[in-house]
Amino acid sequence: MKRLSRHARIIAVLAILLATLALSLPSSAQEPVTIAFWSRDSAAALVQSLADAWNATHDNQIEVTLIPAAEYITKLGTAIAAGEPPDLLAIDLIYVPQFAAAGQLTEISELAAGLPFFDTLSPSHIRLATYEDGLYALPFNAEASVLLYNKDLFRQAGLDPEQPPTNWQEIYDAAVAISALGEDIDGFYFSGACAGCNAFTFLPLIWASGGDVLNEDATEATLTDPMVKAALEFYRQMWTEGLMPETALVDAGAEFLSAFFSGKIGMMGSGAFSISTLKNEHPEIDFGITFLPGKEGGVSSFAGGDSIGIPAGSKYPEEAFEFIEWVLSDEVQLEMFARTASLPVRTDLAENKYFEEDPRLITNAQAMALGRTPYSLVYNQLFNDSNGPWLAMIQQAVFDGQIDEAIANAQQQFTEIMAQVQD
Amino acid sequence: METLRNRPAETAVKMRNRAWRLPSRRQLAGLFFVLPAVTFTLLFFIIPLLMTIWMSLHDWPLIGTPSFIGSGNYDTLAADRQFWTSLGFTIRYTLLVTPPIFILAFVLALLVNLPLRGVGLFRTAYFIPVVIGLGASSLLWVWLLNDRVGPFNTILRQLNLLQGSLVWLGSFDTALFAIIVSVVWKTVGFTMVLLLTGMQAIPQEIYQAAMVDGASYLGRLRHITLPLLRPTIALALVLSVIGSFLAFDQFYIMTRGGPRNQTITVVYWIFNNSFTYFKMGYGAALSLVLMGFLVILSMLQLRLLHREISY
Repeated sequence: MKRLSRHARIIAVLAILLATLALSLPSSAQEPVTIAFWSRDSAAALVQSLADAWNATHDNQIEVTLIPAAEYITKLGTAIAAGEPPDLLAIDLIYVPQFAAAGQLTEISELAAGLPFFDTLSPSHIRLATYEDGLYALPFNAEASVLLYNKDLFRQAGLDPEQPPTNWQEIYDAAVAISALGEDIDGFYFSGACAGCNAFTFLPLIWASGGDVLNEDATEATLTDPMVKAALEFYRQMWTEGLMPETALVDAGAEFLSAFFSGKIGMMGSGAFSISTLKNEHPEIDFGITFLPGKEGGVSSFAGGDSIGIPAGSKYPEEAFEFIEWVLSDEVQLEMFARTASLPVRTDLAENKYFEEDPRLITNAQAMALGRTPYSLVYNQLFNDSNGPWLAMIQQAVFDGQIDEAIANAQQQFTEIMAQVQD
Repeated sequence: METLRNRPAETAVKMRNRAWRLPSRRQLAGLFFVLPAVTFTLLFFIIPLLMTIWMSLHDWPLIGTPSFIGSGNYDTLAADRQFWTSLGFTIRYTLLVTPPIFILAFVLALLVNLPLRGVGLFRTAYFIPVVIGLGASSLLWVWLLNDRVGPFNTILRQLNLLQGSLVWLGSFDTALFAIIVSVVWKTVGFTMVLLLTGMQAIPQEIYQAAMVDGASYLGRLRHITLPLLRPTIALALVLSVIGSFLAFDQFYIMTRGGPRNQTITVVYWIFNNSFTYFKMGYGAALSLVLMGFLVILSMLQLRLLHREISY
């Protein structure tokens, strides 16, 4: 090999490297910027329509990245760890404490206080977005769990579709009547392998009965509460009597709603998003919405949804906040949210001309108002992890019938996980 | 390695002494030639390994600030029930999946080694699943096994072998069986090709000599093919065992670790800790323990199978 050519080659490689580095340096930001916005895909339709409407009327552009809901937190954590966070993000309100505590969200207390409608913003979102007296996010969209039921099947089974169940016994009776309609028709459904779905739809059954799984300030697990056992027994009975389809066993959430689309499911816990999806995509299904009831009556709901915040490493924090302010404005809340059957995140707009046309939306908005949300720094590990103690308890109790053992295991694991953050 | 081991001790000493002198031009050239390999190993193995060791000594959240905790992660690991359960399950899975892959691959290799017309077509057909990504093939199997739309249940029902529907991934035994079948289908072609290469490297003269002596097909298989194939068998088994020990994708996609968390492999547990619970330091500690375990296992396997070959 000749010396010169070797040197020449090394120099060439170095030159290419330098050129690549030079190209990747940021150019001066005088012109309109592109704001990278991340959201989970469950809010896809809303997010995309918001971005399109904003992009058509503003110089700064929003570039949306949708990530499968189950992978979202992992993806986001990895991006932040790699030093490449998005400029703006929508995140399940439940995770805001964890990300704020880790110093990964920009504090926006002062900016938010300047918003004229600040006092009307969804209280559960604001409570979850507050960490040690600072505010780190604002409401983006709202979700509240309700009981979704098929009115056609109610009629066929001789039940009054305008008198939905108001306690567990009535749910059970209706499920028996509907299951009797045919071999492929089932009275009740739940996604038996989906952790988050069951925090959303199963917890309210316990709350409405006066029970809870965490104590007041979320420092101790209270799974030994008799209402937890009662709720598990309730599901177990419906499972063993064949009132639910076998698919429930392995559904990790993929069929959370599609099972209902088949028109062969009588009742299931679901959320506001199902109203807009059903109305737009399955107008043939006549469905009703009612509250998730307690054992002897009473109602509750899981107030969920996404919050919107600015990651600590955002390149355009000011521009990103302009978008947040626009999303929360009267016009967008009414014309982009309420008109498409999404819940507005401002309480002063909960009653509006679009919702008056559909009482089901009013029911959902009311559920939102009475809904609860656990505040925990380890929420993901406790409730949302597919291999976590919450889902393990439901599976062991409902499918295997080992209710006491399931509760004891979960109580122990909850306690262990919660001890980790308290050290 | 083989040559080093057989070299008399004094040569080794001489070599060591020589290293103190100025390297000759010839040695410099040699160094230059190994430089890319050394750089590669350093960049992609040694440095990440050292970083992993460093991380494993910290409480290292995926987001937030790390803090040094010494052997804290290793203490947690010793008392981590799920880790030991996962290790047990991974060993069980490896023991169950390795023999079918190996035996089937061996039979297939014997078949496609026959001098028949169109045998290349079969070789390709058996190898095709290997080039599909494990993620994609796992999703394919999720559909095949689906209790309502999947073809397996439909076929079984038509053959009257099944009444109603069977949720394959819903109980431990059927889920594990289904995953093993899918993995055998996916990887058998690779082991087959490895064994085939080994078989074709055996000199034909040996077979001819044996045939002159009147050895039957089975006799030749037992006394010629198997012994001479031993290094290849060792390689195939080590690769297969390592692959099974590092299993993750198929469980993540097909069972999500269920039912009742019974199919969480060690790598799945590492993934959960690092990226779901955001405990990177603990994930690093788990990875190192798994690596140590694999190194010992591979050494044992090689020692058992990779002895000197004598004709």
